Amino acid sequence: MTTSAPDTVIVGAGAAGLLLAARLAEAGESVVVLEAGPERSTQDMISSQIWARKLKWSGAAVEETGTHPVGHAFNAGSGTGGSAAHHYGVWLRLHPEDFKVHNKYKRSLDWPLAYEDLQPYYDRIQDSVGLSGDHTAEVWRPPGTPYPMPPLPIFAQGRVLERGFQATGRRTAPLPLAINSIPRNGRAPCQFDGWCDAGCPIGALANPLVTSLPKALDAGVEIRYGAQALRVLRDSTRAETIRAVEYVQQGKRHQLTAKRFVIAAFTVQTSRILLNSREDKQVAPGNRYDQLGRYLTTHPAGTIFGLFDDETTPHLGVSGGQLLCHDDYDDKDQSGGFGSSQWLIANAIKPHDLLGYGTSRPDVTGAALRPWLQRAAKHLANMTLVVEDISSPDNRVTLSDARDDTGMPIAHTHHDIAPEVASRWQQRIDEGEAIFRAAGATEVWHGPRVAMHIMGGTVMGTDEATSVTDKFGRIHDTDNLYVSGPSLFPSSGAVNPTFTLSALAERQADHLLGLPLTTAPAP
Amino acid sequence: MAAGPNRRDVITGGAAALGLFLVGGQKVWATPSEAVARGFTPQILTNAQLQALTSLSDHLVPGSAKSGIGAYIDAQLAAGTESLLMAKYVGVPVEQQTAFYSAALNAVMNALKEGSVEAVAANMATDTVSDWQGPPASYVFFLLRADALDVTYGPEAGFADLGIPYSAHIRPETTW
Repeated sequence: MTTSAPDTVIVGAGAAGLLLAARLAEAGESVVVLEAGPERSTQDMISSQIWARKLKWSGAAVEETGTHPVGHAFNAGSGTGGSAAHHYGVWLRLHPEDFKVHNKYKRSLDWPLAYEDLQPYYDRIQDSVGLSGDHTAEVWRPPGTPYPMPPLPIFAQGRVLERGFQATGRRTAPLPLAINSIPRNGRAPCQFDGWCDAGCPIGALANPLVTSLPKALDAGVEIRYGAQALRVLRDSTRAETIRAVEYVQQGKRHQLTAKRFVIAAFTVQTSRILLNSREDKQVAPGNRYDQLGRYLTTHPAGTIFGLFDDETTPHLGVSGGQLLCHDDYDDKDQSGGFGSSQWLIANAIKPHDLLGYGTSRPDVTGAALRPWLQRAAKHLANMTLVVEDISSPDNRVTLSDARDDTGMPIAHTHHDIAPEVASRWQQRIDEGEAIFRAAGATEVWHGPRVAMHIMGGTVMGTDEATSVTDKFGRIHDTDNLYVSGPSLFPSSGAVNPTFTLSALAERQADHLLGLPLTTAPAP
Repeated sequence: MAAGPNRRDVITGGAAALGLFLVGGQKVWATPSEAVARGFTPQILTNAQLQALTSLSDHLVPGSAKSGIGAYIDAQLAAGTESLLMAKYVGVPVEQQTAFYSAALNAVMNALKEGSVEAVAANMATDTVSDWQGPPASYVFFLLRADALDVTYGPEAGFADLGIPYSAHIRPETTW
């Protein structure tokens, strides 16, 4: 265990935290990571939807209110890899328009950087992590280098649903995935068994246990598990400098000093730790303008289900899906609501659990259930809708009056869905059901509106009055406290966030190491 | 494909959640169905709650009684913060699950005194159970049905019954 003050302390061993830890340590810095959850290896990734629940959030309860709660227990993780340990590997780039939503539509917030600023880092991460896809088929794809691996195969479920998209004049492309389609970088290719939600022990899916973690450990990063960060402490003589992070491990409180601190504890816990860092005479870091915790976003999502006469073998493939449609992505202000949207088509699916087809039809019970499940196991298809959220200052993380076992206030999240976003969701759900009917479905239904991914709370910006950090994730009123992860996103876009948060962390590492930043030429 | 894990290590990490049942005064490792067959003693639920749970669940998901729905839920509740019940995904944190299931099953128990399991299930689905005292009936209906699906169709045998290859990368040590 490191006894002297390390160069950098990172809170959270998830996708962003471990990527940063590896980069900084490979450059010669001493790095300590504090992770509240347990140490995990790929051997903990048991192929069972019930076992999979061990990978999800297991820390203090999070209170949730609002018309569209963020679903923290399902979306968050704990332990090595964080929520990325159970993510589905759907790695898509934000579109250029996503970076300037306020400028163009007077809604949400603008990012303090443009797509061109992030493009070189998308390309670099894409190569180092390894993505499978077909950049020529993805007609909507923003500029970038071709994928280093061919796409995963399309199975019967994907081919059946592709008919519906073609019949309704829509385009599809193989879904780009951070999942090996061929052996690469010592990692095995996917076996298409659909256990992504339970983690991927064979290492085909690029969760941090097989990407950043080995690099971090090889470079000498120390990870302290069961170490729950409580707050950061300011220097008594220089308030803009953070002196230490206070944490609890095995019931004992510790303070760890360092030159630099990075909070990468996923969206809700990052805000919670910072809000809990308020001192008697000082507001919490990043909160001089009461911005800390605000602009919490989540993707309103939903699933279309259908039964077909065709055999669809819906257990085959990966949980994220086989095909993508972004035809409705650009031009966020189309009639019928507001926001971009995407279809993730032909997800591998199980009969039970929250996303299972058996759970989707509570009306089927008794003697009718078994034959229905047996039919669905061979003839069901499904696809997932992801809709953009509107960043609102009223959607936020605050501290509850309730406290956890350590005495730390638990987090309270409030998230309402804007009427125009709810309208967009319903519009696309109706369109999705029509696509299924056009594909030949004999029966079509959809699941409820749910929350997928959690972003915001410590958003980046150029103005401290409307943001918490600068464009490198440094908290405005501090000189050595940074945030990394999806909590930095000023707006949500409608794509899965792991690729973007990884590209941001890669860029952040260059900045922290004093390396020259690269920007792609504007189109 | 990866080699099998050290399952004992995994089990030690969450013992009560993963198949430790009280049978004949001793704690034994068993699947929920084995625990039921061996006459397990519930650690959290009362016998009356267990009976109500089993009766309703087996109507919603036939076969769930034999699969051990009662033992499964009781063991998960006994596991405390290690509980793997799906309820934690939909608004019932692990700290609140025992109180939630207790209130829910008391309400089911009272409803079953007034009507057949078929009628109670139908009325729960539409929130029309008279004098229902507990969490919203349709919510309880959804969760108990999901739990019954877990224990019946979550294990490899359940997949096999539906004609689906389980194709585990790392097999669960026991069926649920």
